[in-house]
Amino acid sequence: MNTLIHTTDVVILTYFLALNTFYALLLVLAIPEIWEQTRLAEDEDFQRLMQSDALPPITILVPAYNESATIETSVTAILTLEYRNFEVVVVNDGSKDDTMERLRQAFELYEVPRTYAEAIPTQPLRAVYRSRTRTRLLVIDKENGGKADSLNAAINASRFPLVIAVDADTLIEPDALLRLTRPFLLGARIAAVGGTIRVANGCMVKDGRVTDARVPRRFLPGIQVVEYLRAFLFGRLGWNRLGGSLVISGAFGLFRKDYLHAIGGYRVSSVVEDLDLVVRLHRHLQRNKIRYEIPFIPDPVAWTEVPESGRILSRQRERWHRGLIAAMWQYKGMLGNPRYGRVGLIAMPFFTFGEMLAPLIEVLGYGMTVLGLAYGAINTSFALLFLLVAWGYGMLLSIWAVVLDEVSFRRYGRLGDIVRLLFYATLETFGYRQRTVWWRLKAFASVWKRGQVWGEMVRKGFATPS
Amino acid sequence: MTSRQFLVIVAIAQGVLLLALIILIALNRWVRLRRSAKVDPRRIELDAVMQRWVLGQADAAAVAHALGSLPIPFIIDALVTWSARVPGERWRQLSSQLEQRWWARVLRGSSRSARWWKRLDCARFLAVAATSHDTGRLLRLLRDPHPAVQLAAATTLERLDSPLLVAAALDQLPHLGPTVQAYYASVLKRSRPAVLRHLMQLFRRLDDPRLPRIIEFAGRLEEPVLREPFTTLATHLDPEVRTQVARALGKFPHRESVAALSYLVHDEAWPVRAQAVRSLGMIADATTLSAVRDALRDSEWWVRLRAGLALTRFGPPGRSVLLAAEVGADAAARDMAALILGLSSQALAEYAA
Repeated sequence: MNTLIHTTDVVILTYFLALNTFYALLLVLAIPEIWEQTRLAEDEDFQRLMQSDALPPITILVPAYNESATIETSVTAILTLEYRNFEVVVVNDGSKDDTMERLRQAFELYEVPRTYAEAIPTQPLRAVYRSRTRTRLLVIDKENGGKADSLNAAINASRFPLVIAVDADTLIEPDALLRLTRPFLLGARIAAVGGTIRVANGCMVKDGRVTDARVPRRFLPGIQVVEYLRAFLFGRLGWNRLGGSLVISGAFGLFRKDYLHAIGGYRVSSVVEDLDLVVRLHRHLQRNKIRYEIPFIPDPVAWTEVPESGRILSRQRERWHRGLIAAMWQYKGMLGNPRYGRVGLIAMPFFTFGEMLAPLIEVLGYGMTVLGLAYGAINTSFALLFLLVAWGYGMLLSIWAVVLDEVSFRRYGRLGDIVRLLFYATLETFGYRQRTVWWRLKAFASVWKRGQVWGEMVRKGFATPS
Repeated sequence: MTSRQFLVIVAIAQGVLLLALIILIALNRWVRLRRSAKVDPRRIELDAVMQRWVLGQADAAAVAHALGSLPIPFIIDALVTWSARVPGERWRQLSSQLEQRWWARVLRGSSRSARWWKRLDCARFLAVAATSHDTGRLLRLLRDPHPAVQLAAATTLERLDSPLLVAAALDQLPHLGPTVQAYYASVLKRSRPAVLRHLMQLFRRLDDPRLPRIIEFAGRLEEPVLREPFTTLATHLDPEVRTQVARALGKFPHRESVAALSYLVHDEAWPVRAQAVRSLGMIADATTLSAVRDALRDSEWWVRLRAGLALTRFGPPGRSVLLAAEVGADAAARDMAALILGLSSQALAEYAA
């Protein structure tokens, strides 16, 4: 028994060391990236560019399902973005509430014939509408088919070469589109670009815009602020230097439409459509030996409301992890395959072993430690010391993400917000992390059972200035 | 060293690093506050001096002096902001005045820096304050490996007339993405004569794989003198070249354009046909109505769509063709005519855009 415990411990320790070394590498790589991106984001010439015809036209895809409460505000906010040439395609995915009726009334919709080819097959369309008041708006009413199907319907209807998928409940900063197109202006080989998602809970929102960024006082959304900072500010930035991340958030990512057509759009049967899309995009471009980049840039920001209850959060995390497992399994042929370049040799192994299997290994680690202590194979003080170091490392990564935000974009100006962020970064390791491990573990049990559904999210609504 | 000792060292290092990060946050805030307290009054002072200079109540030397009191990134920001508000000749006086300043010499010296952000600072500065003495520097910056530096350097072409710089920018053009090309087109508009001379030379290189991109760019200029080379290229072997020619010719309502487009509307490649029929709609010459009507029966959906939309631009005769097609024998033309006739004027305007 003792040998088994020892061997398992060595495996877990090696895993821990390798994974954390990789995180440290991402962190180190994120520093020059954030420096570079901050320098580019400071460019005063943006005002000049805004008035130029050079910016590529963009189609904003807005899938909506049962969004009656927020659809008017969201679409109005999107329509008033600071960008010269864009159109908005809203897809009502057979909502059971009065989303369609709300849209019809708010934007004076009138029915028009369909004037485009159905390049990607979708559920049948009921009708296509234009607005009498907003010429940039096109609304599609279709049979329910899920988020991916709605996005495909919107891609079919889009007229412009770049498309961006935006959740109906996401608040995009006015200049975010402008900033998101920067890589297209600076590089010729851009296939897609991801922007930053931040937590809107606790922020002041007016007319669909975040007017005052605050860190929520409640524990669960507060901790998610730190998680999002960590994921975006050093995780994804670090990946820029390692061949591009496998994830561009479905709530805020700009894609070249011709590439989306080439891969057949979003896969309707996928659990997490954004991850699946980006992996297939990498696969297609690598297979066809097309030189490309899929960068993440931190300064374009979209704000989203995160779950405030453990029940909804657990479902969200379980669904995300289920999507990760399904995607890694689906595209296992890319794993360690040199044909797919750095994506096959670095990104896929990391997402498989470092992300997908992480909850299993962590639970195994906890179990083995308990067993080892029970059988006297592990010294108690050593186990505690190891736990302290492991937790300390997690805390350090979170605080580092807070520091990166503080020295670059400084979205949270108040000292109280910074103190709160540091507090959440410290507490995340105690209890919250273990809960997320459990939620992600559940995904292994349910991965083959459920198909693609709209993620359930109970909207609390945003705080508005008095 | 035992594993326990190793872990103790790691734990201590983590503690120290944690403390250092918290101190870094505090220090960062303090430095920012201190800097803004120092710089803000100087920026206000600079704005006041600039204002007086614009009104003719202060000379350029006073502006240069006020600029010198600011850190370099703030100088560039101020120059970029004010350059848009001050007339060209007056701004050139200031540019000449700035040549002698030590900080301007430092900025110009950055054009050879190994750090791309230093070169970017230089390019941004030259974009608003370049003089004829900066041509060599700008040539180097236009060919810079960092695209942000190239882009900032290209902006200089809005202010500085130099055939040499124009030629360098145009040579870069085919290697650039469509968005960057469009940006170059907007900044090169001012240097039109030099651009046109160089384009004429590029058009003679018929085997150049960059030709489609050059035509695409040239089309954006909408310059009448380019119509003739466009019509000549209508028989080029590359369908991408013919597509770009068809697109560009729509901006030139001339009988030779009409003749070339009437030829291209029968092209074997459907993108060329679609573009040609669209351009015929833009010109809306009555003699081409039958060609557009025929395109309504094309085997390709996109060509039929473009033909239907083009017919709406011919006025009542075009509408009559659509009405006839709506009850005609050809099923594809009938469907398309019904679709187009069902569009509101607003939707048609959207498509025309």
